Amino acid sequence: MPPPGDPLYAGLGQAVRIGTELLAALIVGGGLGWAVDGYILDSGPWGLVVGLILGAVAGIRNAYRTAQQWQKSSDTPGKDQRR
Amino acid sequence: MEESPLHPFELHNFVPINIGGLDISINKAVLTMWVVVALVAALMVMAGSARRLVPGKLQSLAEMLVDFIRGIILDTMGEGGMKFFPLVATLFLFILFCNLVGLIPGSYTVTSQIIVTAVFAFSVYGLSLVMGFALHGAKFLGILVPPGTPAWLLPLMIPIELISQLARPISLAVRLFANMTAGHVILGVLFGLTVSGGLLIGWLPFVFTIAMNGLELGIAFIQAYIFTVLTCVYLGDAFHLHGHDEHAH
Repeated sequence: MPPPGDPLYAGLGQAVRIGTELLAALIVGGGLGWAVDGYILDSGPWGLVVGLILGAVAGIRNAYRTAQQWQKSSDTPGKDQRR
Repeated sequence: MEESPLHPFELHNFVPINIGGLDISINKAVLTMWVVVALVAALMVMAGSARRLVPGKLQSLAEMLVDFIRGIILDTMGEGGMKFFPLVATLFLFILFCNLVGLIPGSYTVTSQIIVTAVFAFSVYGLSLVMGFALHGAKFLGILVPPGTPAWLLPLMIPIELISQLARPISLAVRLFANMTAGHVILGVLFGLTVSGGLLIGWLPFVFTIAMNGLELGIAFIQAYIFTVLTCVYLGDAFHLHGHDEHAH
């Protein structure tokens, strides 16, 4: 069993998190937009377009926020708040 | 004989059960989950039965695991989060053992089925929503508005925050599923090369198979760890609304 506090594993864990964070927001944004197009408004491609853009914004915002927390927790040693 | 690298992910029914069109057959995945549950239960019961002050091997392994999970909870939710310890520990141990059991050649990786990881992710997220509304009432909707947002930005921020909230269970489910599936596809391809390569060149991919299995061992821990940490973070977010530095800029 690798030691929990091993910096290599902590780093790998962070790397694995960011990618899916971006992807999931895109899927949700695009999916919501597509659903609005198809089932609610019948608004052509515009729901999908707006949804994808909002999803991209949300994904980047999530990734940025997560990275910011790591920055913060590495600035203040002893107060370890990995998120 | 050539075999598809996706072959290990197929589910074969051992005991077909069909009730009113609902397929609840006992298949590979179900059987593996039972084995995992039995393993975790056996480990914890056997480790806990001795209760010695100076722990033996099994007891110190169990103590290490419990202490590790406790550390995650204290890091993310603080002292008040300890009431979720049974839930979080169960999730962590189950996912960890699913991942590890899947690495034994010839066994099955339950966490490579997206439906399994999705059930975990959505039940955790559902619990955090129920708890958030129970604790904070309608004020819990304030999670959609980061503090310090100017009023004219609200029509833009609310959809974005809504999407990033809804993305949480999906990223949780997809991350675990994708990592486990991808790892096992690579193992399958490499081992397929070994078989078709013969003795002359086949040893090369076989070495890589062993190396990849070692890497997958690390991934098994990391994925279980990340799933647990994020479970705690989401529960903690519902627990103390805006009471932490998540939205601070």
